[in-house]
Amino acid sequence: MTDFTTKNKKSILNKILIFVFWMCIWQAVHLIIGRDIYVPSPLSVFIRLSELVFLKSFWLSVLYSIYRVVAGILLSIVIGAITAVFSAISAFVLNLIHPLMTAIKSTPVLSFIIIALIWFSSGNVPVFICFLMCYPVIWTNLVTGIKGVDKKLLEMSKVYKVKKTVVFKKIFIPSVLPYFTAACITCLGLGWKVTVAAEVLSHPKIAIGSNLHTAKAYLDSTELFAWTFVVILLSFIFEIVFSRIIKKHGMEDKIGANDK
Amino acid sequence: MELTINNLKKSFGNLKVLDSLNLIFKPNKVYCIFGPSGCGKTTLFNIIAGILPADGGEIKGLEGKKISYVFQEDRLLPWATVEENILFVLESHYKKEEAKKLSDKYISLVNLSEFKNHYPHELSGGMKQRVCIARALAFRGDILIMDEPFKGLHLELKKSLMDYIINYLKENNKAVFFITHDIDEALYLGDCIYVFSGPPIKLKKEIEIKIPPDERKKDKEYMEKLKEEIINFDF
Repeated sequence: MTDFTTKNKKSILNKILIFVFWMCIWQAVHLIIGRDIYVPSPLSVFIRLSELVFLKSFWLSVLYSIYRVVAGILLSIVIGAITAVFSAISAFVLNLIHPLMTAIKSTPVLSFIIIALIWFSSGNVPVFICFLMCYPVIWTNLVTGIKGVDKKLLEMSKVYKVKKTVVFKKIFIPSVLPYFTAACITCLGLGWKVTVAAEVLSHPKIAIGSNLHTAKAYLDSTELFAWTFVVILLSFIFEIVFSRIIKKHGMEDKIGANDK
Repeated sequence: MELTINNLKKSFGNLKVLDSLNLIFKPNKVYCIFGPSGCGKTTLFNIIAGILPADGGEIKGLEGKKISYVFQEDRLLPWATVEENILFVLESHYKKEEAKKLSDKYISLVNLSEFKNHYPHELSGGMKQRVCIARALAFRGDILIMDEPFKGLHLELKKSLMDYIINYLKENNKAVFFITHDIDEALYLGDCIYVFSGPPIKLKKEIEIKIPPDERKKDKEYMEKLKEEIINFDF
């Protein structure tokens, strides 16, 4: 117990030291450049952030952006899972969808945002862009996962006449889970990046991206940095929450056993 | 329960593995299957087990029958414990409590009670093989197919498992197919020894051991003669 507490304390201390190190670098860069418009000081950014958190509009923007990221990712998971299952079953569907995925992966996000601006209302553009960028990641990982299911285990369940629902639950889900988890972690980072980028260009009424856009228009670098910091923090929190959910459901052990 | 194979055919590309094969397997017997690697033994039993479709012909006597299969490889779910692996095949056929009882009984039979909550990656090769044997026996298939099941097991356990299979067969109306390269195992366990060649697989020799397994030790001369006969067989 004592050992654990000491280790825990050490790890927290390490994290604090790493944080302080990067803050020092930031401050040093600020001092070298010497102009707030290029690189504001970390202190001024945190002061601005502390002012922002007391505004109702700040929390509304955060909530709306969270909604867009979650909606986009969920949509990509649902559609990605359905199409991945069909693609894994049928070579025809796989060949049909594959060029679409390659096209989405290699097209610049900006092109999609501009096209989406014509198609959708400004509030829905970020959701669509988030979905579009996360969908190929989910689809590719799930197809690989489903195709990678051990055929010998499926043969074994066929001989023992195991019910299809049990085979799905006990073979397919644990086999695909590591691929799905990896895809979700990638999407959580990617989702925030592309959603905020789409918000900047489509500027919906309430959004983190719209605030970034306004800050840019007024050349208010301190606010620009403060909002950027919020995006980084949210993306980080999302990843932690997702990892906790996985741990809570004991999926990590199963993934670990699978890897060995 | 008799198993009749009529005119069974199977090819992989140009390679004919089964070419109009006809065989009859009688119930309550342990058939030991001998043959060189690649002669088509596993293909034949994979067709019987329903893993592979045949290109032609038919197998009579399989309707409504349950099959237990001890594969050459362990084929265990890596993310499930020893107990969960056995329950995985039992859950679809037995009530929960009955499945649990069967699983406990056979885990204990293969001396793995202490390891029932362990994952396959925590077990040795021989232990994994024992889990597969426990899984096959717990399932209580009408047909028991074993493809080199005693590889890597120490003599004492091997003997006790072979004795168990002999008794298991006596008590129930089962057919056991035992694919092996070990003549001593075959002579200890088998009632009929089928020697195959191929591909395409052909039954070259059929040896029936007339002495029951528990009396074989007494007639060493006869058993030695049989052993010589198999060793000197020209494939």
